[in-house]
Formats: sequence, C-alpha cells, structure tokens
Amino acid sequence: MKGRRRLRLLIALAACALALLPGAALRAQTPPALALNPSLDYTDTRDVSGVPSITAVELGRLLGATRFWRADLRKLELRLAAHRLVLTVDNPFVLVDDATLLLPAPVVLKGGEMLVPAALVEAMADAPGWPRLVHDPRRGVVLVVPPGGVVGTPQFRHGEGVTRVTFPADREGGVSIAGRARSRFRLRFDGVFTGNLPDSLPGTSLVRGVRAIPAVQGCAFEMTVAPEAEGFRVVRERAGQVTIEFRRQRVAGDEGFAPAGPAGPRAISLVVIDPGHGGVDVGAHAEGLQEKALTLELARLLRDELAARMRVRVLLTRDDDRTLSAEQRAEFANRVRADLMLSLHFDAFEGTRAVGATAYCPPATAPAGEPGGAVPDANWTMRPWRDVPFTHAVQSRALAEALLSALELRGQGPTRLRETLPYPLVGVDAPGVMVECATLTSGADRARITRSDGLRIIASTLADGIEAYQRNE
Amino acid sequence: MRRVFLGLLFFAVLAWVAYQWSRVSVPRVPQSISADSIAAGMKTVRLFFVATGADSLLVEARELPQPQNLHATAAALVAELDRGPREGGIAALPAGTSVLNVYSDARGLLVVDLSRAFLQGFRGGSTAEYMAVASLVRTLGANMPEVQRVQIVCGGAPLVTLGGHVPLDRPLEIAEWVDERTF
Repeated sequence: MKGRRRLRLLIALAACALALLPGAALRAQTPPALALNPSLDYTDTRDVSGVPSITAVELGRLLGATRFWRADLRKLELRLAAHRLVLTVDNPFVLVDDATLLLPAPVVLKGGEMLVPAALVEAMADAPGWPRLVHDPRRGVVLVVPPGGVVGTPQFRHGEGVTRVTFPADREGGVSIAGRARSRFRLRFDGVFTGNLPDSLPGTSLVRGVRAIPAVQGCAFEMTVAPEAEGFRVVRERAGQVTIEFRRQRVAGDEGFAPAGPAGPRAISLVVIDPGHGGVDVGAHAEGLQEKALTLELARLLRDELAARMRVRVLLTRDDDRTLSAEQRAEFANRVRADLMLSLHFDAFEGTRAVGATAYCPPATAPAGEPGGAVPDANWTMRPWRDVPFTHAVQSRALAEALLSALELRGQGPTRLRETLPYPLVGVDAPGVMVECATLTSGADRARITRSDGLRIIASTLADGIEAYQRNE
Repeated sequence: MRRVFLGLLFFAVLAWVAYQWSRVSVPRVPQSISADSIAAGMKTVRLFFVATGADSLLVEARELPQPQNLHATAAALVAELDRGPREGGIAALPAGTSVLNVYSDARGLLVVDLSRAFLQGFRGGSTAEYMAVASLVRTLGANMPEVQRVQIVCGGAPLVTLGGHVPLDRPLEIAEWVDERTF
C-alpha cells in the first residue's frame, strides 16, 4: 500500500514539474523589457484629456530651472540664468525668452498640479540656452537629451539588390556594429532612441526584421538580415544621419557577415580560460597596473561566474603567477579536450588614443602552409600543430562575435574584431578567441577596470557572451 | 660731421643695392632638382604609420633617393619608418629598429633581419605588436612589388613572436595584412 502511495506521489510531482517546465523555458526565452537607461534623467507623461503632459515641477527639474509662482496672475515662471519661461494656467501660449510659443492644448491646473503639454519640449527644441529635452511618446516619457544625442525613427529604402536603413542621429559618429551575424545583426548608437520601428518589412527587403534591444549606454537594434545578403557598410554621408547599406552582392569596401555555423545550441561541457602572460612575463603595464595580475584575477572571477550560471567545467591554464609558454597553454587545452578556449589579455599602446576591447580569432581562410592529410593504414589524419586553430575558424568567429556583442551592449567598448591567428591560440584544437578586455593606457578604460566591481562586470559580460555562444544566438 | 654722416649713408645704400642684386642674380635651385640631377633619381615611397586611435594605418608618401639594391631599399624604408611620420600619426616600429640583412628568393619571399632594438624596444600590448608588424609588412609590400611574403628575423636569430600576441614563426602573407578584415 505504502509503495503505491509513494508511486502516486512521485507521478504527481513529475507531472507538476512537466507542467512547470514549458513556463520556465518560456520565461527564459522572453527578452528583457526595453527599459530606459537608469543614467538618463526623465519623467513620465500623464494623459490629460488625450494630451500627454508633464507637471511643471518636473519640467523645472529637467530644465534645472528655479520656479517662481505668481498666484495672483496664475503664472509660473521658470528661470535659468538669464533665460525665462512663463506658463499661464488655462492658456496655450508660453513665453520662452523673447518668443511666444503656441501649444496644442492649454496649460491646466489639476489636483493642485500645473500640467504642461509635452509638445512644449518639441516647440522649444531650438531655444538657445535651455537644456534640450525630447518627448518619447512610445515610452511615455520626457527626457533630457544625453551627450550622445537622439536617434530617431529609421527609414527603410529598397533598391535593386540593396536595402538602405537610415537612422536620424544627432551624433553620426556614435554608431558601432555590435554583431555581424545575419540572424542577429546588431547596431549600437550612443544616443537615446525616441522613434518607432516598423512591425513588418516587405519581402523584397534584405532586412527581414528589426527590434530594439537593451543596451547599457545609448540604444541598440537587432536586425534579421536575409541569407542572400553578402555585405554591408556604414555610410555617414550627411550630417545628422547614419545609413547602413545591405547588398546582395558584396562590392569593394563592404564588410562581410559572420559565417553561420550549424543551427541549435552548442554542446559545451569544458571551458578553458587562459590568463595571459604570467611569471617573468608581465605583459602590458600602465599606471601601476600589470596585465598578468589583471588577467589572473579576471580569469578567477569568470570561472566563478560560469560555474554559477552554466553546467560547465571551467579550468584555468594557470591559477597562480607562473611563466607558461604558448605551447604549454595549448597542450593543456588539448589534453583536457576543451570545448572552447578564451585567452584573456589587456591591451596597451602608449601615445595613442587607443581605447576599448579587441577580439582576435583565426581567419576562416586557411593560410598557405604545410598540408596535413590522412596517414596510410591508419584511421586518423595528421594536421600541422600550428594550423589546427583554422579548422575551428567559423566557431571561433561566432564566439568572438558573441563576446564583442556582449561587451558592446554592456558599455565596455568600443570593440573591434581582427581575424588573424593570435599567438596564444597556436596549436589549440578548439574554438578559441583572444580577448583584449580593455586598454590600460586609456584613462577611461583604467577608471572602468579599477573601480571596485570593474573586473567583476567584465567577467559577467564575458559570461554573457559565452552563454550567447552556447545558445547559438 | 655732416660729411661723415653722408659717407656712411652712401655706403649703407651701396651695400643694400649690392645685397639685392646678389639675391636676384643667384636664383635658388630646388633641392629635389639638384638631388635628382647630381646623385641618383628620386622615388616616391609609401610608408605606413599608425593612426592616433591605433585602429588603422595611415599612408604617407615620401621622396627618397632611388636605392641601388634590395638591401638598400629595405634599409631605407625601415629607416624612414623609424624616423616617424611627418603628416600625423604615430611610428609603429620600436625605436632604433634597423635592417641588418635582407635575403630573398625567386618565389617572392623576403627575409628581413632586423636589429635587436626591434625586440628590445618593444612596449605595449597586442595592438602595438600588431601595428608594428602591419606597418613593416605593408610598407615593404607597397614599395617592393616583387615581395609577396615577409619573414621577420631578429639579430640573425628566428623570432617566434614580438610580444606574445602575433606569431612570427612563419612568413607573413602581405595579402593577408592588406585585407580589411584585419583592421
């Protein structure tokens, strides 16, 4: 009797677990909500008889102005240095310095609060001396325009074998490619996005879909590019706009897309992390920071991060300050049969404005070298030690893309990718990437690294990238 | 007293006229013309330096006397790289780098034996290393059309890597270093 009851209990528990699993999976797949960067200064709008409005108090706060209330005249004056803005209750006219602006609805007093139509911020966009505000009706906010400016609604134009996507952007230099895969082509802008995106695109377009994705700084977009597209380029031909051209046939000057590997999640059970340099090899150094110490600390943090998030075994090529040759590192990764290898480094270049992160991966085009081949009367093939990384070039590139995309979206950029075999990966028989996580000679990067949680954030970001690579995003 | 003053004035005017006449009668000869006609011919070379953002190379044209042989060509190019840019950018080669010997074969391989300063003077990370190699390889490739591959050795000994990031154990294909994917 007891055995039957236990069996029923087990069956009931299993049924509950099965019922919960799809929900859990669905929750895991749900993309995070597009939220405003917490560093932005903004206020929510309210609906007043169909007109989006903000309170005069919030308007004064965003403008950094001092408020003066004249109860007898029912007027509120906002002063900022020599500038003044006058709002009158039940009046659609607003005085901004010497100009009078007409709003689509009057300023109203409701519940003891003065409510101003959000259209005011657009009307006074060109008013000199005032901080620039912008109304984002999609999110229902009015916000202070950040130094990166504003990115507006993109326009899609389709021609013969080419699709042009043009973004109005205050800072046309503030755009970077955060992912080159056709299935997840990612762009990041320094500015805040206040426009709208189309729900669908015509079948003739080389861009099949576009959506906004979260980014720590500025805004980011993810596009689905048609498989027949061969190249793309970023064009900054006019001030105030950035155009991305996608071409069916690649022409000189175009960049190529990341090669696509097999679909579906990748099986990763063992990750080897290689803290660069060590022992007598200090690596790069600047302002008291030593590359060998930073890479070791970062490697330990990344090991803990991966172990906590993923069901993988993580091994370090060195867990102390010792000298290792590149051959020893590669031999270690091959002996433990690593599923991927990540060689951690920090860059330096004195006397330049070099900044940000760089990933190196072996190029998909194998170099001219000694050919390997099948060994007679044996069921194995022989490959030159040095050329082994080239057999993993496509997966290595995908790993590099995933890591750089994560770094770019978490504000650890600018990022760049170099497709050339890095020395620490020579002889490694696994997908691998060498990542220069930051540039020690850059003051901005040093400040980012040396803050109390600086290396932990980089470790978390790299773990994001490895997870994305495993999910095959 | 008046006579003395007039005499001095006369000599001063005479000296000024003589000076002006000498300037007019001996025109300046452009330096390039004299060099071209007296010694060897001048050749425009293209040198690659690093942009200040260290994310690309800048090309700078410079006039050099036509070298007489392979060694002189490579040595002159490396010497100009070591002198640094004149039109902006940053020198990529470690300071003091020079060419000790040069060898070539019929298949477009150029072996450049650089002085020990190339290895000993190197400072920085992978970008500095990458740019040093790129600057050298692209400069040699751009000015020596017969060269397709460059093998770097240092002080007469093989060089595996400069700073632990770029493998130098094999000849470097110039075509790969021109590819936009690497920048």
